[in-house]
Amino acid sequence: MRALVKNGIGLFTPQGFLDGDSTASFLSLEDIEATKNLNVDMVLVSLKKVVFFNKNGLDIFIKLFSKVRQTQNISVGFCDIDHKKYVAITKFYNNNINFSIFNTYKTASLFSSSYKNQNKNVLLYSNDKSQRTAMAIELHDYGHNPIVCQSEEEFLEKSANKSAYDNIIKDTYLGQMGESIATRVTGNAVIYTVSAYLDAEIGNTFNIAYHNNSLNVGFRLFIFDAYKVVNMNIHALNFFSRLATSAAEYNATICFVGLSKDKIQDAFQDTMEDAGIIFYAQMEDILDNKELLKELGASSAANVKNKRAINKTVVAKLPEFIDATVATIEMMTNSKAVKEAAEVNAINIKEKDGKIASSIGFYGDIDGMVILVFPKGIAKKACELLIGEETDDIEMILDTLAELVNIVGGKVKSLLHDHGVNVNITLPRTYHSIDALLEVAQEKKGVQVDLAFNNDKFLFFLTR
Amino acid sequence: MVTKQDIDNFIEKVPPTPAILRETMRLANNGELSKAAKVAESDLALKSYLINLVNKPIYGFRNEVSDIGQIFGILGLPSTQQTLYNYMLTLLSPKQWELFDLNEKTFHELQANLSLKWKKILGYLNIDDKEIESSVSLLPASIIVSEALFSSAKKDVDLLRSVHHLDYNTILKRLCGTSLFDICVTIAKKWDMSEEISEIVYSASGLNPSNNPDIDNLAKWMHLLLFYELSQPIFIKASLNDFIDFQIEYVEDIYEEFVQVMEIE
Repeated sequence: MRALVKNGIGLFTPQGFLDGDSTASFLSLEDIEATKNLNVDMVLVSLKKVVFFNKNGLDIFIKLFSKVRQTQNISVGFCDIDHKKYVAITKFYNNNINFSIFNTYKTASLFSSSYKNQNKNVLLYSNDKSQRTAMAIELHDYGHNPIVCQSEEEFLEKSANKSAYDNIIKDTYLGQMGESIATRVTGNAVIYTVSAYLDAEIGNTFNIAYHNNSLNVGFRLFIFDAYKVVNMNIHALNFFSRLATSAAEYNATICFVGLSKDKIQDAFQDTMEDAGIIFYAQMEDILDNKELLKELGASSAANVKNKRAINKTVVAKLPEFIDATVATIEMMTNSKAVKEAAEVNAINIKEKDGKIASSIGFYGDIDGMVILVFPKGIAKKACELLIGEETDDIEMILDTLAELVNIVGGKVKSLLHDHGVNVNITLPRTYHSIDALLEVAQEKKGVQVDLAFNNDKFLFFLTR
Repeated sequence: MVTKQDIDNFIEKVPPTPAILRETMRLANNGELSKAAKVAESDLALKSYLINLVNKPIYGFRNEVSDIGQIFGILGLPSTQQTLYNYMLTLLSPKQWELFDLNEKTFHELQANLSLKWKKILGYLNIDDKEIESSVSLLPASIIVSEALFSSAKKDVDLLRSVHHLDYNTILKRLCGTSLFDICVTIAKKWDMSEEISEIVYSASGLNPSNNPDIDNLAKWMHLLLFYELSQPIFIKASLNDFIDFQIEYVEDIYEEFVQVMEIE
């Protein structure tokens, strides 16, 4: 069984009955290895569809948690449990719980740095005072508004008014939380979460290849969420200065949020500011200010200094890219694609209205970027399979489109792997409009292939 | 990935009930088990299936039972019909499983386990009805249909399921507007199975509760039994655990009794 990865959380969803015999069959050695290598900030096992479990049944997952934490310092635990299951788990492991338990997946998401929506009103209660405090601090750190109940009576009284809260937390236990550099995308800004004391180790834990490819895909605003940083040394300072210098080549901006003056020396801050890093007190100072976001480049990617040409190595793999894209869209829409034209040039979109776009980067043995331009009709149809209903909510369509492009990326990765070419893929980026896409891509040369799905024009563009 | 045409093609290929089976069933239903056995003897594949089935350890016979008349006698009328339906289903199963890591032996084991445990449940519920006993034999048809429709798109399904939690039933419903259990009902009709059988299995998906409280109760037991069986290591390894969604709320009110009947500790 493999974890489903969404919003930075790897989720296992076993069903039925979990005992020692059955659970061992859920996780092969390959599954454990794959989980250890996931680029996520939380690994969870949902017990929503489990009707029976005993301690032996959970032990296999506990071993998985331990192995994951040995490789990555991320949060691990169970979610989607009712009171009965919570009592059973805490009883099984008594005073030796080094994993987390969340009453719902939604609660777990609140503690994940990849969670997009902040400022949630969260009612919480635990009969353990230190847990109440720990949860309140974590929630506050992640930008939410925790309302802590000091007694069960108070909790029962307040929780009766469910509509007053975005989420209600009970039967939840925070084990060791993750401290890795988690990455999330808010709008078109990439946010990295750093914590504790920053030293030379940042060079190992920060995924520089991922960062470079995010730049290449068109992300121009990178925010370091540094609320939990206590200090940094000269090695970390040099690392961030170099990062800012290389970002400048792409006209990108690097910001630090929550790194107050009492945490680093004035001289360090001066050096970072000289390198182009901007400091903000609160995340909302940036994310809630659309004008500032525009100014910092989150919605613009113009003036890219590093324009790279498409090369033969990438073009040689064009059939694999086309196959992956066509097969995925055909699969999602149950329609047939017809290839209409192909040419090497700058991207050329004749009709801009009623279209949305998405891009995904790849890096490894070869690197580049795939851009897909969808008429809204195809995008909506393709997303129906994932959502299960028709929708006109553009945010939902764009979110689901990102999943779809992830599937394309996954298929490209697998097809290239079959041909001995190993690549990784970046997070997908979506564009509300063609103008937003052209800010990133209009000067890039690449291979454009026009396709038709049931007479709807669809555009594929491969570039670097 | 899967189109309406693929579904139609699959249903088209479902063979009608073979004449020997029809006759065996008719005689068995008339209570003429010895005559039914004689007819069954002439179909070597059926004979071999019956012998292999009753000699599985789960049936608990010390010595090999190889006489068909004796087998029908041991099974009794309700179980004989159920066993004949089980055999019909094997005619539909693929020679080579690709989507699920199953083979002829493990599929027969699944059938045998479901059949015997279903009988135990019906015993607990004080139900002695050959149609109801036979209904469980149609349940694995949902697995065969998934295999037939999705095996050529395994990689695509894996990719789809790597970004979104979707079971085969949901994928099929969203792509073609037809569920696995709709197809099971069509197969049942083609094989002249009773409507009661279709209705129980259709509701056993956990998504279409029956208006008839008796059928709905049986469907709950069948749904839970299916997931009890699919939680066995052999079937988890075969990737069957999440081929359809377990509806835990649907079976909540019978869970305690189920644990008792199955002696789960």
